Amino acid sequence: MTELRLEGLVHVYPDSGVRALDGIDLRIDTGERVALIGQNGSGKSTLARHLNGLLRPTEGLVLVDGQDARERTVASLAGDVAVCFQDPDRQVFSGTVAAEVDFGPRNLGWSADVRRTAVATALDAVGLAGDQRTNPYDLGDSRRKLLTIASVLAMGTPVVVLDEPTTGQDARGVARIGAIVRQLAAEGRTVVAISHDMTFVAEHFARVVVMRAGRIILDGSPADVFAEAAWPILASTFLEPPLAAVVGARLDLGSTPTPDAVVAALRARTA
Amino acid sequence: MGHDTLTTVGDPAEPAGDRLARPLPAWLGRPGPTSWHRLNPLTKLTIAVVTSIQAVLLGGIVGPSMVLLLAVVLPAVRTGVGRQVIRTSLLLALPLAISASLVNLFFLPDAPTTLFELGPFRATEEGARFALEIVIRVVAIAGALTLFYITTRTSDLVVDLERRGMSPRLTFVVGSAVTMVPQMVDRASAIAAAQRARGLDTEGSPWRRMRGVLPLVGPTIMGALNEVEERTLALEARGFTRPGRRTLLWSPSDPAYERLVRWSLVLTIPVVVIVRAGGWGLP
Ligand SMILES: Nc1ncnc2c1ncn2[C@@H]1O[C@H](COP(=O)(O)OP(=O)(O)O)[C@@H](O)[C@H]1O
Ligand SMILES: [Mg+2]
Repeated sequence: MTELRLEGLVHVYPDSGVRALDGIDLRIDTGERVALIGQNGSGKSTLARHLNGLLRPTEGLVLVDGQDARERTVASLAGDVAVCFQDPDRQVFSGTVAAEVDFGPRNLGWSADVRRTAVATALDAVGLAGDQRTNPYDLGDSRRKLLTIASVLAMGTPVVVLDEPTTGQDARGVARIGAIVRQLAAEGRTVVAISHDMTFVAEHFARVVVMRAGRIILDGSPADVFAEAAWPILASTFLEPPLAAVVGARLDLGSTPTPDAVVAALRARTA
Repeated sequence: MGHDTLTTVGDPAEPAGDRLARPLPAWLGRPGPTSWHRLNPLTKLTIAVVTSIQAVLLGGIVGPSMVLLLAVVLPAVRTGVGRQVIRTSLLLALPLAISASLVNLFFLPDAPTTLFELGPFRATEEGARFALEIVIRVVAIAGALTLFYITTRTSDLVVDLERRGMSPRLTFVVGSAVTMVPQMVDRASAIAAAQRARGLDTEGSPWRRMRGVLPLVGPTIMGALNEVEERTLALEARGFTRPGRRTLLWSPSDPAYERLVRWSLVLTIPVVVIVRAGGWGLP
């Protein structure tokens, strides 16, 4: 049971003076699948870095299971909330893929046997099972990103936060990440993902939070957020609804954020 | 749950734009904010190098201390970068200074005067003095280089060297070497943050902090080299190796008196060498 709560969260970066978060109120319950979207620079990554205590609020509160995140070290929060950062080149450091994934579980103090299983399972989930001994630098950008996802999956945390997991992935990579989100949800774990891929968002998430200039401007189901009435708001933060939503609106089917929803609506109409 | 319905917060028509831009460092608009910043890059480089050499050549404690005071502390404070210079140069100098101090304090050979004893180890007055000499030198060198670094834009240095006829290939090497340092620091701290996010406990004891640093060395250097390689390829693709001189749209000014200052500084080196060889020197 891990509930996340942000209350009046403001973050000003001291060195640039940028007010990256400007009053965020957000509650995420255990087992939710939440997508965080918004134009570049809207504060999504900054928000993610507050969830594991890496950034401290300038104002406001971050509560993990009702407890103020400031009272805990980043290392101890890591057992509850695992955040996979945006840029793989700024987190991967080990000489082999297996060692990289093993780093988190080792810090959590797991036994060698348990760790071996965790590493193998996580690498299998991202399709890197055969690359245990590969040097991460030889993987290529998109597979290195998958490696960072495996590294946080292996930690078995109740909350998993993925910062732009789909960026740079081909269709197979996106499908893999979709499967991971489904699997995490099936295990009752909370997933928060930042993405610019609206099709992926509509397909795999029950709740979509839209950010602009450090604030939350929309918060609802994909059907709500991608409904035609909300398009002007999406456009104000340089987002476009997924194609299925546009098709549904043109055909007067109502809000149909996914292809399945289009088909269902068409069937319902012809029935 | 409260979020099943669509909630709209704020005014959607409000423009989101310029306030997101990260402001540039205050002095990045040329020219520099202080007369020190505005010195020709080569002059500042000469000051840094001559200061470093003199800190070693002068010997003793008084000479290097004066160099440290006059050529590093004074300009740094007057330029308003005093705190930054002190912090960075201490950080750079500390590991070497501490190890050199300990070794000399306890193990300097032929040191008869005992200061105090620590178990089997004997700290000597001669050792303490020698350790102090080393610390001052190391701090002076670190400070001189830091001051140069903080008050000089890499692009200015590169452009100035190119104006003086240095080949673009060489200036690229210089520029890359100089820009690599902040990039490496940046990357190292990012990786350190990611390690904490995966449960590495670095809060608390210095030993715990140190443990996190070692694994950063490899990827930091690898990453920096990778970046330079990519930049090289990108330059290649844009005709970098084309023969002939480039036209510079702007270059830092270099008044005659600065040339004089540089030559005078360089001349102090043989002077001090001769004086020292003659057996003179400050305590
Ligand atoms: N380390 C930092 N230092 C200073 N400003 C930053 C830093 N990281 C991000 N910012 C600024 O904060 C704002 C939000 O950035 P970020 O959270 O990365 O946005 P997003 O992930 O939505 O693209 C941007 O204006 C960005 O320039
Ligand atoms: Mg981001």
